[in-house]
Amino acid sequence: MPQRNPSVRAGLAVSLGIATTRTLYLGVLALFAGAFVARGAEVIPPKPDRYFNDYAGVVSPGVAERLNTQLAQFERDTSDQVLVAVYRKMQSDSSIEDYSQRIAQAWQVGQKEKRNGVVLLVFLDDRKASIQVGYGLEGALPDITAYDIRERHMNPHFRKGDYEGGLSEAVDLICKAIRGEYKGSGRTNAESRGDNGGTIGLLVFLFVLVIFLLAVRASRRFGGYRYTGGGGPFVSGNWGSGGGWSSGSSGGGFGSFSSGGGSFGGGGSSGSW
Amino acid sequence: MKVSIFKIGTSLLGLAAIFSLSGCNSYNRLVILEQNANKKWADVQSVYQRRADLIPNLVNTVAGSANFEKSTLTEVTNARASVGRVQLDPNKAPEDAEQLKKFQAAQGQLSNALSRLLVVSENYPQLRATEAFQNLQAQLEGTENRISVERNNYNSAVQDLNTALERFPTNMLNKMFGFKPRAFFQAEAGSEKAPTVNFNFGSPTPAPAATAASTP
Repeated sequence: MPQRNPSVRAGLAVSLGIATTRTLYLGVLALFAGAFVARGAEVIPPKPDRYFNDYAGVVSPGVAERLNTQLAQFERDTSDQVLVAVYRKMQSDSSIEDYSQRIAQAWQVGQKEKRNGVVLLVFLDDRKASIQVGYGLEGALPDITAYDIRERHMNPHFRKGDYEGGLSEAVDLICKAIRGEYKGSGRTNAESRGDNGGTIGLLVFLFVLVIFLLAVRASRRFGGYRYTGGGGPFVSGNWGSGGGWSSGSSGGGFGSFSSGGGSFGGGGSSGSW
Repeated sequence: MKVSIFKIGTSLLGLAAIFSLSGCNSYNRLVILEQNANKKWADVQSVYQRRADLIPNLVNTVAGSANFEKSTLTEVTNARASVGRVQLDPNKAPEDAEQLKKFQAAQGQLSNALSRLLVVSENYPQLRATEAFQNLQAQLEGTENRISVERNNYNSAVQDLNTALERFPTNMLNKMFGFKPRAFFQAEAGSEKAPTVNFNFGSPTPAPAATAASTP
Protein backbone atom coordinates (compact mmCIF):
# COMPACT_ATOMS: atom_id res chain seq x y z
CA MET A 1 0.00 0.00 0.00
CA PRO A 2 1.95 2.98 -1.16
CA GLN A 3 -0.39 5.68 -0.06
CA ARG A 4 -2.84 5.99 2.72
CA ASN A 5 -5.46 8.59 2.62
CA PRO A 6 -6.26 10.41 5.83
CA SER A 7 -9.90 10.63 4.84
CA VAL A 8 -10.08 6.83 4.74
CA ARG A 9 -8.76 6.66 8.26
CA ALA A 10 -11.11 9.36 9.37
CA GLY A 11 -13.94 7.39 7.83
CA LEU A 12 -12.86 4.30 9.73
CA ALA A 13 -12.71 6.20 12.98
CA VAL A 14 -16.20 7.51 12.38
CA SER A 15 -17.59 4.12 11.54
CA LEU A 16 -16.00 2.50 14.59
CA GLY A 17 -16.74 5.27 17.04
CA ILE A 18 -20.52 5.26 16.80
CA ALA A 19 -22.71 2.43 17.90
CA THR A 20 -26.19 3.11 16.56
CA THR A 21 -26.91 1.52 13.24
CA ARG A 22 -28.02 4.61 11.39
CA THR A 23 -24.86 6.53 12.15
CA LEU A 24 -22.91 3.40 11.44
CA TYR A 25 -24.29 3.50 7.92
CA LEU A 26 -23.20 7.10 7.69
CA GLY A 27 -19.74 6.06 8.81
CA VAL A 28 -19.58 3.32 6.22
CA LEU A 29 -20.73 5.83 3.62
CA ALA A 30 -17.96 8.19 4.68
CA LEU A 31 -15.51 5.32 4.41
CA PHE A 32 -16.59 4.58 0.86
CA ALA A 33 -16.51 8.25 -0.05
CA GLY A 34 -12.97 8.47 1.29
CA ALA A 35 -11.92 5.41 -0.67
CA PHE A 36 -13.50 6.86 -3.77
CA VAL A 37 -11.62 10.13 -3.45
CA ALA A 38 -8.39 8.25 -2.85
CA ARG A 39 -8.77 5.98 -5.86
CA GLY A 40 -10.73 8.14 -8.23
CA ALA A 41 -7.75 9.51 -10.09
CA GLU A 42 -5.83 6.34 -10.77
CA VAL A 43 -6.63 2.76 -11.71
CA ILE A 44 -3.99 0.05 -11.46
CA PRO A 45 -5.03 -2.60 -13.99
CA PRO A 46 -5.51 -6.15 -12.68
CA LYS A 47 -2.52 -8.46 -12.80
CA PRO A 48 -2.35 -10.27 -16.18
CA ASP A 49 -2.17 -14.06 -16.28
CA ARG A 50 -0.02 -14.23 -19.42
CA TYR A 51 3.46 -12.94 -20.21
CA PHE A 52 2.37 -11.11 -23.32
CA ASN A 53 -0.93 -9.24 -23.02
CA ASP A 54 -2.39 -7.19 -25.82
CA TYR A 55 -5.48 -5.50 -24.43
CA ALA A 56 -5.60 -3.07 -27.35
CA GLY A 57 -5.85 -5.65 -30.11
CA VAL A 58 -2.95 -4.48 -32.24
CA VAL A 59 -0.89 -7.66 -32.29
CA SER A 60 -1.95 -10.71 -34.29
CA PRO A 61 -2.81 -13.80 -32.20
CA GLY A 62 0.03 -15.77 -33.79
CA VAL A 63 2.70 -13.24 -32.81
CA ALA A 64 1.18 -12.78 -29.36
CA GLU A 65 1.31 -16.52 -28.79
CA ARG A 66 4.89 -16.74 -30.04
CA LEU A 67 6.05 -13.93 -27.74
CA ASN A 68 4.18 -15.45 -24.82
CA THR A 69 5.85 -18.83 -25.40
CA GLN A 70 9.21 -17.12 -25.76
CA LEU A 71 8.81 -15.30 -22.44
CA ALA A 72 7.58 -18.42 -20.62
CA GLN A 73 10.64 -20.29 -21.90
CA PHE A 74 12.79 -17.36 -20.80
CA GLU A 75 11.54 -17.73 -17.24
CA ARG A 76 12.30 -21.46 -17.34
CA ASP A 77 15.85 -20.71 -18.50
CA THR A 78 16.68 -17.73 -16.32
CA SER A 79 13.90 -17.34 -13.71
CA ASP A 80 13.61 -13.71 -14.93
CA GLN A 81 10.04 -12.64 -15.50
CA VAL A 82 9.46 -10.31 -18.43
CA LEU A 83 5.90 -9.13 -18.80
CA VAL A 84 4.42 -7.08 -21.62
CA ALA A 85 1.05 -5.32 -21.48
CA VAL A 86 -0.42 -3.11 -24.20
CA TYR A 87 -3.31 -0.84 -23.24
CA ARG A 88 -5.29 1.82 -25.00
CA LYS A 89 -5.11 4.51 -22.33
CA MET A 90 -3.37 5.41 -19.11
CA GLN A 91 -5.86 5.46 -16.23
CA SER A 92 -3.99 8.01 -14.20
CA ASP A 93 -3.13 11.68 -14.01
CA SER A 94 0.41 10.92 -12.94
CA SER A 95 3.39 10.84 -15.23
CA ILE A 96 4.07 7.66 -17.19
CA GLU A 97 7.16 7.05 -15.02
CA ASP A 98 5.28 7.08 -11.72
CA TYR A 99 2.22 5.24 -12.96
CA SER A 100 4.26 2.46 -14.57
CA GLN A 101 6.38 2.01 -11.48
CA ARG A 102 3.26 1.61 -9.35
CA ILE A 103 1.79 -0.92 -11.79
CA ALA A 104 4.98 -2.99 -11.90
CA GLN A 105 5.24 -2.88 -8.11
CA ALA A 106 1.59 -3.87 -7.68
CA TRP A 107 1.94 -6.84 -10.04
CA GLN A 108 5.11 -8.03 -8.26
CA VAL A 109 6.69 -9.30 -11.44
CA GLY A 110 9.95 -11.17 -10.80
CA GLN A 111 11.09 -13.55 -8.09
CA LYS A 112 10.91 -12.25 -4.53
CA GLU A 113 14.53 -12.72 -3.57
CA LYS A 114 16.14 -11.96 -6.93
CA ARG A 115 13.73 -9.13 -7.69
CA ASN A 116 14.32 -9.92 -11.35
CA GLY A 117 11.28 -8.66 -13.17
CA VAL A 118 10.92 -6.39 -16.20
CA VAL A 119 7.60 -4.84 -17.22
CA LEU A 120 7.06 -3.26 -20.61
CA LEU A 121 3.92 -1.12 -20.65
CA VAL A 122 2.52 0.52 -23.77
CA PHE A 123 -0.35 3.04 -23.87
CA LEU A 124 -1.30 3.45 -27.48
CA ASP A 125 -3.62 6.44 -27.40
CA ASP A 126 -1.23 8.34 -25.14
CA ARG A 127 1.69 7.35 -27.41
CA LYS A 128 3.67 6.51 -24.29
CA ALA A 129 5.64 3.47 -23.25
CA SER A 130 7.66 2.45 -20.24
CA ILE A 131 10.21 -0.21 -19.44
CA GLN A 132 10.28 -0.84 -15.69
CA VAL A 133 13.27 -2.76 -14.38
CA GLY A 134 13.21 -4.63 -11.06
CA TYR A 135 15.87 -3.90 -8.46
CA GLY A 136 17.73 -7.12 -9.21
CA LEU A 137 18.18 -6.36 -12.91
CA GLU A 138 19.24 -2.72 -12.69
CA GLY A 139 22.82 -3.85 -13.25
CA ALA A 140 22.11 -6.01 -16.30
CA LEU A 141 19.58 -3.60 -17.79
CA PRO A 142 20.65 -0.10 -16.73
CA ASP A 143 18.61 2.98 -17.61
CA ILE A 144 20.82 3.71 -20.59
CA THR A 145 20.13 0.30 -22.11
CA ALA A 146 16.41 0.56 -21.38
CA TYR A 147 16.40 4.00 -22.95
CA ASP A 148 18.31 2.67 -25.96
CA ILE A 149 15.87 -0.21 -26.45
CA ARG A 150 12.84 2.00 -26.13
CA GLU A 151 13.99 5.06 -28.04
CA ARG A 152 16.26 3.64 -30.73
CA HIS A 153 14.71 0.24 -31.40
CA MET A 154 11.07 0.14 -30.33
CA ASN A 155 9.88 3.69 -31.02
CA PRO A 156 10.98 3.83 -34.70
CA HIS A 157 8.66 0.85 -35.33
CA PHE A 158 5.87 2.43 -33.29
CA ARG A 159 6.09 5.69 -35.23
CA LYS A 160 5.40 3.73 -38.38
CA GLY A 161 2.48 1.97 -36.73
CA ASP A 162 4.37 -1.34 -36.67
CA TYR A 163 3.52 -2.43 -33.12
CA GLU A 164 4.30 -6.11 -33.66
CA GLY A 165 7.76 -5.29 -34.92
CA GLY A 166 8.50 -2.84 -32.13
CA LEU A 167 7.28 -5.15 -29.38
CA SER A 168 9.12 -8.19 -30.78
CA GLU A 169 12.36 -6.28 -31.03
CA ALA A 170 11.99 -4.79 -27.56
CA VAL A 171 11.27 -8.22 -26.05
CA ASP A 172 14.28 -9.74 -27.85
CA LEU A 173 16.60 -6.97 -26.70
CA ILE A 174 15.38 -6.99 -23.10
CA CYS A 175 15.91 -10.76 -22.92
CA LYS A 176 19.32 -10.43 -24.53
CA ALA A 177 20.38 -7.81 -21.99
CA ILE A 178 19.33 -9.72 -18.89
CA ARG A 179 20.13 -13.30 -19.95
CA GLY A 180 22.96 -14.71 -17.90
CA GLU A 181 22.26 -12.63 -14.79
CA TYR A 182 20.34 -15.40 -13.02
CA LYS A 183 19.86 -19.12 -13.47
CA GLY A 184 16.48 -20.68 -14.06
CA SER A 185 15.00 -23.76 -12.47
CA GLY A 186 13.69 -25.16 -15.74
CA ARG A 187 10.10 -24.33 -14.96
CA THR A 188 7.99 -21.22 -14.57
CA ASN A 189 6.37 -20.14 -11.31
CA ALA A 190 2.98 -21.22 -12.60
CA GLU A 191 4.32 -24.65 -13.49
CA SER A 192 6.23 -25.32 -10.30
CA ARG A 193 3.38 -24.05 -8.16
CA GLY A 194 0.88 -26.34 -9.85
CA ASP A 195 3.33 -29.19 -9.59
CA ASN A 196 4.10 -28.67 -5.92
CA GLY A 197 0.41 -28.60 -5.21
CA GLY A 198 0.06 -31.95 -6.92
CA THR A 199 2.95 -33.53 -5.05
CA ILE A 200 1.81 -32.24 -1.68
CA GLY A 201 -1.71 -33.47 -2.41
CA LEU A 202 -0.34 -36.90 -3.27
CA LEU A 203 1.83 -37.02 -0.14
CA VAL A 204 -1.09 -36.03 2.07
CA PHE A 205 -3.23 -38.63 0.39
CA LEU A 206 -0.63 -41.36 0.94
CA PHE A 207 -0.12 -40.27 4.55
CA VAL A 208 -3.83 -40.42 5.24
CA LEU A 209 -4.05 -43.79 3.49
CA VAL A 210 -1.27 -45.22 5.67
CA ILE A 211 -2.92 -43.90 8.85
CA PHE A 212 -6.21 -45.30 7.69
CA LEU A 213 -4.73 -48.75 7.02
CA LEU A 214 -2.93 -48.68 10.37
CA ALA A 215 -6.16 -47.70 12.08
CA VAL A 216 -8.03 -50.51 10.38
CA ARG A 217 -5.37 -52.99 11.47
CA ALA A 218 -5.38 -51.65 15.01
CA SER A 219 -9.15 -51.70 15.19
CA ARG A 220 -9.19 -55.31 14.04
CA ARG A 221 -6.77 -56.20 16.78
CA PHE A 222 -8.66 -54.33 19.49
CA GLY A 223 -12.12 -54.86 18.12
CA GLY A 224 -13.00 -51.15 17.74
CA TYR A 225 -14.36 -51.60 14.24
CA ARG A 226 -17.39 -49.47 14.81
CA TYR A 227 -15.39 -46.24 15.28
CA THR A 228 -13.06 -46.64 12.29
CA GLY A 229 -15.92 -47.81 10.19
CA GLY A 230 -17.49 -44.36 10.66
CA GLY A 231 -14.25 -42.43 10.27
CA GLY A 232 -12.94 -44.25 7.22
CA PRO A 233 -15.12 -42.94 4.42
CA PHE A 234 -15.09 -39.41 5.80
CA VAL A 235 -11.31 -39.20 5.87
CA SER A 236 -10.68 -40.77 2.49
CA GLY A 237 -13.45 -38.80 0.84
CA ASN A 238 -12.22 -35.45 2.09
CA TRP A 239 -8.56 -35.83 1.27
CA GLY A 240 -9.05 -37.71 -1.92
CA SER A 241 -10.94 -34.80 -3.42
CA GLY A 242 -8.25 -32.38 -2.18
CA GLY A 243 -5.57 -34.25 -4.06
CA GLY A 244 -7.64 -34.34 -7.20
CA TRP A 245 -8.19 -30.59 -7.10
CA SER A 246 -4.50 -29.69 -6.83
CA SER A 247 -3.40 -32.05 -9.59
CA GLY A 248 -6.10 -30.56 -11.79
CA SER A 249 -4.76 -27.04 -11.29
CA SER A 250 -1.26 -28.00 -12.39
CA GLY A 251 -2.54 -28.66 -15.88
CA GLY A 252 -3.25 -24.94 -16.44
CA GLY A 253 0.32 -23.82 -15.71
CA PHE A 254 1.67 -23.97 -19.24
CA GLY A 255 2.33 -20.53 -20.72
CA SER A 256 0.45 -18.72 -17.96
CA PHE A 257 2.10 -16.15 -15.78
CA SER A 258 2.33 -16.27 -12.01
CA SER A 259 4.23 -13.47 -10.29
CA GLY A 260 6.93 -14.23 -7.76
CA GLY A 261 6.85 -11.15 -5.52
CA GLY A 262 9.41 -8.95 -7.26
CA SER A 263 9.84 -5.25 -6.50
CA PHE A 264 10.63 -2.13 -8.50
CA GLY A 265 12.43 1.06 -7.60
CA GLY A 266 11.79 3.21 -10.65
CA GLY A 267 14.69 1.95 -12.78
CA GLY A 268 14.24 1.76 -16.53
CA SER A 269 13.07 4.27 -19.08
CA SER A 270 9.77 5.89 -19.98
CA GLY A 271 8.57 8.40 -22.53
CA SER A 272 6.57 9.20 -25.64
CA TRP A 273 7.13 8.16 -29.21
CA MET B 1 -14.38 -18.64 49.81
CA LYS B 2 -10.82 -19.86 49.51
CA VAL B 3 -11.60 -21.37 46.15
CA SER B 4 -12.96 -18.13 44.76
CA ILE B 5 -9.90 -16.15 45.91
CA PHE B 6 -7.74 -18.76 44.26
CA LYS B 7 -9.80 -18.44 41.11
CA ILE B 8 -9.49 -14.66 41.04
CA GLY B 9 -5.78 -14.92 41.68
CA THR B 10 -5.18 -17.32 38.82
CA SER B 11 -7.30 -15.36 36.41
CA LEU B 12 -5.41 -12.18 37.31
CA LEU B 13 -2.14 -14.01 36.76
CA GLY B 14 -3.43 -15.22 33.43
CA LEU B 15 -4.40 -11.71 32.43
CA ALA B 16 -0.97 -10.41 33.43
CA ALA B 17 0.66 -13.16 31.38
CA ILE B 18 -1.43 -12.26 28.36
CA PHE B 19 -0.60 -8.58 28.71
CA SER B 20 3.12 -9.19 29.03
CA LEU B 21 3.01 -11.52 26.05
CA SER B 22 1.27 -8.95 23.92
CA GLY B 23 3.76 -6.40 25.23
CA CYS B 24 6.63 -8.59 23.96
CA ASN B 25 4.92 -8.88 20.63
CA SER B 26 4.40 -5.15 20.37
CA TYR B 27 7.99 -4.51 21.35
CA ASN B 28 9.25 -6.86 18.66
CA ARG B 29 6.93 -5.27 16.18
CA LEU B 30 8.22 -1.81 17.01
CA VAL B 31 11.80 -2.98 16.57
CA ILE B 32 10.94 -4.39 13.16
CA LEU B 33 9.13 -1.23 12.10
CA GLU B 34 12.00 0.91 13.27
CA GLN B 35 14.53 -1.18 11.40
CA ASN B 36 12.37 -0.98 8.32
CA ALA B 37 12.25 2.81 8.54
CA ASN B 38 16.04 2.88 8.91
CA LYS B 39 16.48 0.59 5.93
CA LYS B 40 14.22 2.75 3.80
CA TRP B 41 16.11 5.81 4.89
CA ALA B 42 19.36 4.19 3.78
CA ASP B 43 17.74 3.52 0.39
CA VAL B 44 16.76 7.17 0.12
CA GLN B 45 20.30 8.21 0.92
CA SER B 46 21.76 5.88 -1.66
CA VAL B 47 19.60 7.18 -4.51
CA TYR B 48 20.48 10.78 -3.58
CA GLN B 49 24.11 9.74 -3.50
CA ARG B 50 23.69 8.17 -6.91
CA ARG B 51 22.48 11.46 -8.28
CA ALA B 52 25.34 13.35 -6.68
CA ASP B 53 27.77 10.89 -8.27
CA LEU B 54 26.37 11.56 -11.73
CA ILE B 55 27.01 15.28 -11.52
CA PRO B 56 30.78 15.55 -12.13
CA ASN B 57 30.29 13.49 -15.27
CA LEU B 58 27.41 15.65 -16.42
CA VAL B 59 29.31 18.84 -15.74
CA ASN B 60 32.34 17.57 -17.68
CA THR B 61 30.25 16.55 -20.64
CA VAL B 62 28.42 19.85 -20.76
CA ALA B 63 31.49 21.98 -20.10
CA GLY B 64 33.18 20.36 -23.10
CA SER B 65 30.50 21.78 -25.34
CA ALA B 66 31.49 25.04 -27.02
CA ASN B 67 30.64 28.18 -24.99
CA PHE B 68 28.01 26.62 -22.79
CA GLU B 69 26.40 29.07 -20.41
CA LYS B 70 28.75 29.02 -17.44
CA SER B 71 26.36 30.34 -14.79
CA THR B 72 24.07 27.29 -14.93
CA LEU B 73 27.07 25.00 -14.57
CA THR B 74 28.37 26.86 -11.52
CA GLU B 75 24.90 26.73 -10.04
CA VAL B 76 24.85 22.93 -10.34
CA THR B 77 28.33 22.63 -8.89
CA ASN B 78 27.45 24.90 -5.97
CA ALA B 79 24.20 23.08 -5.26
CA ARG B 80 26.09 19.79 -5.34
CA ALA B 81 28.53 21.19 -2.79
CA SER B 82 25.80 22.44 -0.48
CA VAL B 83 24.12 19.03 -0.60
CA GLY B 84 27.41 17.63 0.65
CA ARG B 85 27.30 19.96 3.64
CA VAL B 86 23.87 18.83 4.92
CA GLN B 87 24.72 15.29 5.88
CA LEU B 88 22.38 13.16 7.95
CA ASP B 89 23.24 9.81 9.47
CA PRO B 90 22.66 7.39 6.58
CA ASN B 91 21.88 4.47 8.90
CA LYS B 92 19.24 6.03 11.08
CA ALA B 93 15.96 7.54 9.98
CA PRO B 94 15.96 11.17 11.11
CA GLU B 95 13.92 12.11 14.18
CA ASP B 96 14.38 15.83 13.77
CA ALA B 97 11.91 17.25 11.28
CA GLU B 98 13.90 20.49 10.99
CA GLN B 99 17.05 18.66 9.98
CA LEU B 100 15.20 16.67 7.37
CA LYS B 101 13.72 19.89 6.06
CA LYS B 102 17.20 21.34 5.62
CA PHE B 103 18.35 18.19 3.89
CA GLN B 104 15.33 18.29 1.63
CA ALA B 105 15.87 21.97 0.83
CA ALA B 106 19.48 21.34 -0.20
CA GLN B 107 18.48 18.41 -2.40
CA GLY B 108 15.65 20.48 -3.85
CA GLN B 109 18.11 23.20 -4.77
CA LEU B 110 20.17 20.65 -6.64
CA SER B 111 17.06 19.37 -8.40
CA ASN B 112 16.24 22.88 -9.54
CA ALA B 113 19.76 23.60 -10.72
CA LEU B 114 19.79 20.36 -12.69
CA SER B 115 16.46 20.98 -14.34
CA ARG B 116 17.58 24.48 -15.30
CA LEU B 117 20.73 23.04 -16.82
CA LEU B 118 18.67 20.64 -18.87
CA VAL B 119 16.35 23.38 -20.03
CA VAL B 120 19.31 25.53 -21.05
CA SER B 121 20.85 22.59 -22.89
CA GLU B 122 17.97 22.73 -25.33
CA ASN B 123 19.73 25.68 -26.90
CA TYR B 124 22.66 23.45 -27.77
CA PRO B 125 21.40 20.91 -30.28
CA GLN B 126 24.90 19.69 -31.01
CA LEU B 127 25.44 18.85 -27.36
CA ARG B 128 22.05 17.15 -27.14
CA ALA B 129 22.84 15.05 -30.16
CA THR B 130 25.90 13.48 -28.53
CA GLU B 131 25.45 10.00 -27.16
CA ALA B 132 27.27 10.90 -23.96
CA PHE B 133 24.74 13.60 -23.16
CA GLN B 134 21.74 11.45 -24.04
CA ASN B 135 23.02 8.67 -21.82
CA LEU B 136 23.55 11.07 -18.97
CA GLN B 137 20.04 12.36 -19.39
CA ALA B 138 18.65 8.82 -19.34
CA GLN B 139 20.56 8.12 -16.14
CA LEU B 140 19.50 11.36 -14.54
CA GLU B 141 15.89 10.70 -15.42
CA GLY B 142 16.08 7.23 -13.90
CA THR B 143 17.67 8.64 -10.77
CA GLU B 144 14.93 11.21 -10.30
CA ASN B 145 12.37 8.42 -10.60
CA ARG B 146 14.23 6.32 -8.08
CA ILE B 147 14.39 9.23 -5.68
CA SER B 148 10.63 9.69 -5.78
CA VAL B 149 10.01 5.94 -5.32
CA GLU B 150 12.38 5.61 -2.38
CA ARG B 151 11.04 8.74 -0.74
CA ASN B 152 7.52 7.34 -0.96
CA ASN B 153 8.70 4.02 0.46
CA TYR B 154 10.43 5.83 3.30
CA ASN B 155 7.38 7.92 4.08
CA SER B 156 5.10 4.90 4.28
CA ALA B 157 7.60 3.07 6.51
CA VAL B 158 7.66 6.10 8.81
CA GLN B 159 3.90 6.26 8.79
CA ASP B 160 3.70 2.61 9.87
CA LEU B 161 6.17 3.22 12.68
CA ASN B 162 4.62 6.48 13.87
CA THR B 163 1.11 5.03 13.83
CA ALA B 164 2.24 2.04 15.88
CA LEU B 165 3.90 4.37 18.36
CA GLU B 166 0.69 6.29 18.93
CA ARG B 167 -1.52 3.28 19.36
CA PHE B 168 -2.39 1.41 22.55
CA PRO B 169 -0.67 -0.61 23.97
CA THR B 170 2.50 0.14 22.03
CA ASN B 171 2.37 3.80 23.04
CA MET B 172 3.33 2.73 26.59
CA LEU B 173 6.39 0.86 25.35
CA ASN B 174 7.24 3.93 23.38
CA LYS B 175 7.95 5.77 26.64
CA MET B 176 9.52 2.79 28.41
CA PHE B 177 12.05 1.95 25.72
CA GLY B 178 12.55 5.35 24.14
CA PHE B 179 11.19 4.71 20.68
CA LYS B 180 10.84 7.96 18.81
CA PRO B 181 8.65 8.93 15.87
CA ARG B 182 10.51 9.80 12.69
CA ALA B 183 10.24 12.76 10.35
CA PHE B 184 8.48 12.70 6.98
CA PHE B 185 9.55 14.09 3.66
CA GLN B 186 7.23 16.96 2.83
CA ALA B 187 5.48 16.35 -0.45
CA GLU B 188 4.69 19.88 -1.62
CA ALA B 189 7.46 22.09 -0.36
CA GLY B 190 7.64 24.17 -3.51
CA SER B 191 11.36 24.04 -4.12
CA GLU B 192 11.40 20.31 -3.55
CA LYS B 193 9.11 19.50 -6.46
CA ALA B 194 10.99 17.03 -8.59
CA PRO B 195 11.94 18.61 -11.88
CA THR B 196 10.02 17.24 -14.81
CA VAL B 197 12.93 15.46 -16.41
CA ASN B 198 10.86 14.15 -19.24
CA PHE B 199 12.84 14.29 -22.43
CA ASN B 200 11.44 13.78 -25.84
CA PHE B 201 14.31 13.03 -28.16
CA GLY B 202 11.86 11.85 -30.76
CA SER B 203 10.72 15.27 -31.89
CA PRO B 204 13.81 17.43 -32.36
CA THR B 205 12.98 20.97 -31.39
CA PRO B 206 14.20 23.34 -34.08
CA ALA B 207 16.57 25.38 -31.95
CA PRO B 208 18.96 27.04 -34.40
CA ALA B 209 22.59 27.06 -33.38
CA ALA B 210 22.86 30.73 -34.28
CA THR B 211 20.56 31.82 -31.42
CA ALA B 212 22.40 29.48 -29.09
CA ALA B 213 25.72 31.11 -29.92
CA SER B 214 24.31 34.59 -29.38
CA THR B 215 23.10 33.84 -25.83
CA PRO B 216 25.82 34.89 -23.37
